[in-house]
Amino acid sequence: MKIWSTEHAFSYPWETVIKAAMRKYPNPMNPHVVGVDVLDRRLDAEGRLHSHRLLSTEWGLPAIVRAILGTNHLQTYVKEHSIVDPEEKKMELCSTNITLTNLISVNEKLRYTPHPDNPEVTILTQEAIITVKGASLSSYLEGMMARRMSANARKVTLTHIYIIA
Amino acid sequence: HLFGFSVAAMNSVGEACTELKREYDQCFNRWFADKFLKGERGAEPCADSFRLYQRCVQKAIKDKDIPVDGLDFMGPNKDKPDG
Repeated sequence: MKIWSTEHAFSYPWETVIKAAMRKYPNPMNPHVVGVDVLDRRLDAEGRLHSHRLLSTEWGLPAIVRAILGTNHLQTYVKEHSIVDPEEKKMELCSTNITLTNLISVNEKLRYTPHPDNPEVTILTQEAIITVKGASLSSYLEGMMARRMSANARKVTLTHIYIIA
Repeated sequence: HLFGFSVAAMNSVGEACTELKREYDQCFNRWFADKFLKGERGAEPCADSFRLYQRCVQKAIKDKDIPVDGLDFMGPNKDKPDG
């Protein structure tokens, strides 16, 4: 099991960042999100918006892993639950894979909040727990995933800037 | 396009649903930005386009055998949708 966490600061107000976050999926865990569908959406009694989304992702895997798994395309589906609280200015998001669960489990949490001292800045806190099942592949895949996420963490920042701008 | 994936528009899991999804997304995004984030209480006005879109997506999910209901999903909090 590998746990990975990071924090980003965006130089934009919370509302701007949230709008960008709802429109697309700037997720370092899933650099190849090919589809996003809303499965359920509702307002709760406190006026918070809950969304359940289904993400279709494709993982680019190294040749050796592809050979072992016997597939080129690793299409994975991820279910995501987000809550947007417009009064508290908080967006929380949890996601987990619902296919290939016999091989790997990726659980991720994201939270967007305004910077406590500067309303022009938004903080994104990310946390991911990755568990690869099967001892032989485990350490190799986990290491690969963690490296990929570190590399993609930078991309997320740039993507956000691109969307907002 | 940035980093090889589309920033503007995502597809639906059902190829046939992408157009319905975009119509719904457009309605939702407008409400989300112009009403919801500005503190206006009141329901999202996109129920009709959502219904059409859902009918299509649910069929695609069934056809592709995607286990959307097979997992006890742990959200940011555990309260379940009440309908």
